[in-house]
Amino acid sequence: MIYALVVPGPIPDVEQIRILEWHGAIGQKFEPEEMLVELETYKALVEVRAGQPGFLRKIISEAGNWEDVGAPIALFSDTADEALPANTEQIADLPASFEVS
Amino acid sequence: MSDTATTPAIPTTRMFFREAIIRALAEEMERDARLILLGQDIGAFGGSYKEFVGLQERFGKDRVRDTPIAEAAMVGLGVGASAMGHRTLVNITYMDFLMLGLDPLINFAAKARFKSGGQIRVPLVVKTTAGAKGQGVAHSQCIESWLMGVPGLKVVAPSTCADAYGLLKSALREEGPVVFVDHKRLFPTSGEVPTQEGTVPIGRSRILRPGRDITLTVHGYCTRIALEAAELLSAKGISAEVVELVSLAPLDIETICGSVSRTGALATLEEGQLVCGVGAEVAFQVNERIGPVPSCRIGPRAAPVSSSPLLEAATLANSGTAVTAIIELLEK
Repeated sequence: MIYALVVPGPIPDVEQIRILEWHGAIGQKFEPEEMLVELETYKALVEVRAGQPGFLRKIISEAGNWEDVGAPIALFSDTADEALPANTEQIADLPASFEVS
Repeated sequence: MSDTATTPAIPTTRMFFREAIIRALAEEMERDARLILLGQDIGAFGGSYKEFVGLQERFGKDRVRDTPIAEAAMVGLGVGASAMGHRTLVNITYMDFLMLGLDPLINFAAKARFKSGGQIRVPLVVKTTAGAKGQGVAHSQCIESWLMGVPGLKVVAPSTCADAYGLLKSALREEGPVVFVDHKRLFPTSGEVPTQEGTVPIGRSRILRPGRDITLTVHGYCTRIALEAAELLSAKGISAEVVELVSLAPLDIETICGSVSRTGALATLEEGQLVCGVGAEVAFQVNERIGPVPSCRIGPRAAPVSSSPLLEAATLANSGTAVTAIIELLEK
């Protein structure tokens, strides 16, 4: 199954974030609790961690981009070689935890 | 051909409001070795709104100094350092506590050039954060109108990242004291700032949205509320021209009067108290220059701002109250 990682929220006062750094390359397997990406809010860093195992398949939004809370920023899959759909609108959200520091 | 058609698009970079401030400070510190910064928690902590992050690391503890919680001493030190050849920015985290620093600011900094026959200059910027955001009676006030009538003092209040950057740089090049007023609710915002270094001149207002039926003057965070109100009014067939003051002292009364001459009516919007407020001054100066027009002041209730979010919201003006007041005015 294919999942989309979305910008997590709500975070008080935050409408938009900037993507600071992706952790890991396309094709890499992630285990639960591994850090996927770091995001910047207007005053804090947000660490986003995987909520289930999966493979990072596609980065939709690169470091430096600005995104709304809820926007899809990467695609993950359960297995390494599942075909990615052309349309990303109907994809389930990847379970993920986040911590604001 | 209009200006916009002939002017090539200026390259811009998107940044958070605090980053626009950091950029302005870093560039001016690079440009002028005499510039020092004083404030509570502006060093290793990087400022209450993270608007000083990295500056102490980059420019050292001599130039970026943490101070005790003692605003009278902070402004006093800044005034003295500036009078003796430095250029100083003093950061007052809550504008409410600028009250403690008004003596050195008003009685010395603003007067020094006059009483010394021009021999003493006080190139001082007081950057301070105004406005209500859940912190109650003494951490929410907007007292910029108190400062507008002090000869020798300039007062600016940006609402965008680009103006925060450009106005702060201009303020840091002035020969006399400037109060730079930002707002707690501006810090979560982001915006485009010209990529190339530049300044925004002090003393000019800006027509943000053209309109035919009424002029709505505003400054600081309320500018966002004014633009919302103008949009709501537009849906009701009322065309409001939004004039952002940008600079409160000096006030660009020519731009304001030009607008009111075209629209024939004036509304003012502010978060500070209306009695002897910014709007009262704008309206009277308009009256003196172009004669009476239908006018109204829109602002908070005459009450302190509560730390209860519900009561805070009930105290302040919003786009809905602005729309109601403007419709009532135009129907009179």
